[in-house]
Amino acid sequence: MEATSNEFLRGTLKTIVLKLLTEHGRMYGYEITQSVKERTNGEITLTFGALYPVLHKLEQEGFLLTESEEVDGRLRKYYTLTPTGSATAIQKVSEFERFVEAMQILLKPTEGGLSLSPI
Amino acid sequence: MKKLTPEQLTKLFNHLIRNNTNDVLLNELLDHLACEAEEYLWKGYNFDLALEKITQDANAMAVKYLSQTYQHDIAMTDEQLQNASLDDIVFEFRNKAYGAYDLRQSYPFALRSALILGVGLFLMLMAFLSGMAQGSWNFFSTSGAMWMIGLSGVAYAVGTWFFKKSPHNYALPA
Repeated sequence: MEATSNEFLRGTLKTIVLKLLTEHGRMYGYEITQSVKERTNGEITLTFGALYPVLHKLEQEGFLLTESEEVDGRLRKYYTLTPTGSATAIQKVSEFERFVEAMQILLKPTEGGLSLSPI
Repeated sequence: MKKLTPEQLTKLFNHLIRNNTNDVLLNELLDHLACEAEEYLWKGYNFDLALEKITQDANAMAVKYLSQTYQHDIAMTDEQLQNASLDDIVFEFRNKAYGAYDLRQSYPFALRSALILGVGLFLMLMAFLSGMAQGSWNFFSTSGAMWMIGLSGVAYAVGTWFFKKSPHNYALPA
């Protein structure tokens, strides 16, 4: 699942991050990876190499605010959504839901029996 | 929940430094790896084993991949590049809080102040010497004018330096 999921993951990472922040309010990087891992039962694991560029990109685009706090002798950076970020989150999630629905229709075997590879 | 000691944190930090981690990502990655390490400790591993596992995952390749993705994703847009100064370009992705960025930003101001101050002091010295040589002092002579220009130059340089707001815009978060 590793290599292929990465390919699918790349386009949806922003949506995932925005969605999680909508639900949790304030999160830090490691918390996000853990949350994704738990909710998908380990099916999807975010590497730090994929996550942090996305977080910083979203911050640059004005969707996220950050605040640093010292925790156990190290700086922890928390992310929260800005108002535009919340709006974008809603929009992206609904766009993605529609995409998933379309994909499911596409992946279903056609009823005429013409399907070459039933899944 | 088991916590890492400062020494263990330093070990992780050194690992990141050795692998050329991007300055802007350093603190965040340290926290990330430290969280991972604490989870391993919690599961019952000892620190050395946890460190080994983490350094395997976060090896030079992974960190390099991160830096590349990061620079590709966060790079300045064409519009930003149009308005960026050379300092901005040189210091993109670098640690601006370190001090060099501040020094470069305040350099034109420092140069101008130093020049005005130097010329002003020189004029004052010359006026003083010529006044000494003549044995009399008149504010409406050439040396009197030089003294006044020099004095106002020095006052201006010292005054602007004194009232300028602190140039440390990129101080580290406390």
